[in-house]
Amino acid sequence: MDDRLRETLSAMMDDQADELAVRRVLSHPDQQAVREQWQRWQRIRDVIHEAPHGDAGVDVRAAVRDSLDRAADAEVAQRRTIRRRHAPWRWSAVAMIALGVAVGFGAGSGWEVMSEGSPDHLVPVQAQAPAAASGTVPEVAIQGLNERQREQISRYLLEHAQYNSIGAGHGALGYARVTSVSGQGY
Amino acid sequence: MIMSERRQSGPAVQLKEAPAGPIMKPDAEQTRPNAPDGQTDLQLVRKARQGDRSAFDLLVLKYQSRVASIISRYIYDSQEVMDLTQETFVKAYRAIERFRGDSAFYTWLYRIAVNTAKNFLEARGRRPQGVADVADAESYEDGGRLREVASPEGFLQRDQLREALEKAIGALPEELRSAFLLREYEGLSYEDIARILECPIGTVRSRIFRARDAIDRQLGPMLDNS
Repeated sequence: MDDRLRETLSAMMDDQADELAVRRVLSHPDQQAVREQWQRWQRIRDVIHEAPHGDAGVDVRAAVRDSLDRAADAEVAQRRTIRRRHAPWRWSAVAMIALGVAVGFGAGSGWEVMSEGSPDHLVPVQAQAPAAASGTVPEVAIQGLNERQREQISRYLLEHAQYNSIGAGHGALGYARVTSVSGQGY
Repeated sequence: MIMSERRQSGPAVQLKEAPAGPIMKPDAEQTRPNAPDGQTDLQLVRKARQGDRSAFDLLVLKYQSRVASIISRYIYDSQEVMDLTQETFVKAYRAIERFRGDSAFYTWLYRIAVNTAKNFLEARGRRPQGVADVADAESYEDGGRLREVASPEGFLQRDQLREALEKAIGALPEELRSAFLLREYEGLSYEDIARILECPIGTVRSRIFRARDAIDRQLGPMLDNS
């Protein structure tokens, strides 16, 4: 530690060092030398002011450091354990959310794709005439399905739209579109 | 003791004639040579908050003696005093984000020390014996029980250290001694010392450093062995 730095340390003892100087002291590579010098000067001051420091001096610095280091290590280890414990659940949750989003998008975008410019064979038979006549957007095509199958699929889509509508901004839109599968149309 | 006498009669300083114009009266806080520093502590606290352990180390080294002294007013066992001193600093580090700077860092630390000692006693079913209020935080001469439980060898060592210190101060060149005494015994700022000694602040800073350095070299072996 050179004299310039030690003079800064001395100024710190007297509250006369600016922030830049303090930073220079704290960034010195040999912090042990800094600590030793600081401690010696503090002890000299203690003697001048007759502060009791015991027969061997009070020195808890190393013990304080150890204690803080141990606490920090324990905290890191605990966080790692919690992360490991929740990792499988986290991935399951991510997968479920991704599936829900995919289904929701699928339901929504499926309606878009199928309702605009659909080829004839995709338009429901019973809705075709009125849609063509009134100029409204044709309903979703459900080709070649009997009544029972149409009922099943509409129930399935309704359930998924319901699921997606929870917490999703446009989920209600999908829900609204799904209700039209029942054949009522707009 | 010679040091006490010196304090009463004032430092042996050859002062030049007072400069013309008003001399700033030292702040009440500053006239006490043992008033806890403010600026350096705040800077170190700020760095400690950023995770700089070296900064906190310097705070520990600065105040550990005083904290131990406070705790020793409540606790008689020297090992327990050391443990609780350690615990005080650990608590202070953990709570350092909550230190707002309304009071001096040492005052805040002092409260933690007192609470730590009291809690320890209450946990052991013992009532806290002494009373140490916040005003005591500013007083350096805590004179705690730590002194009383020190060994006879410890007392002897301390006396020898004091004697060596007086010799070392006496051996300093006049200009260094004046600056050093005005700082350490009168608690004057560098600015005030510069005004009294009629020299630049940088010169005051340099002289005080060289005085400390010279004393440290003289006392060196004794400080290492104690």
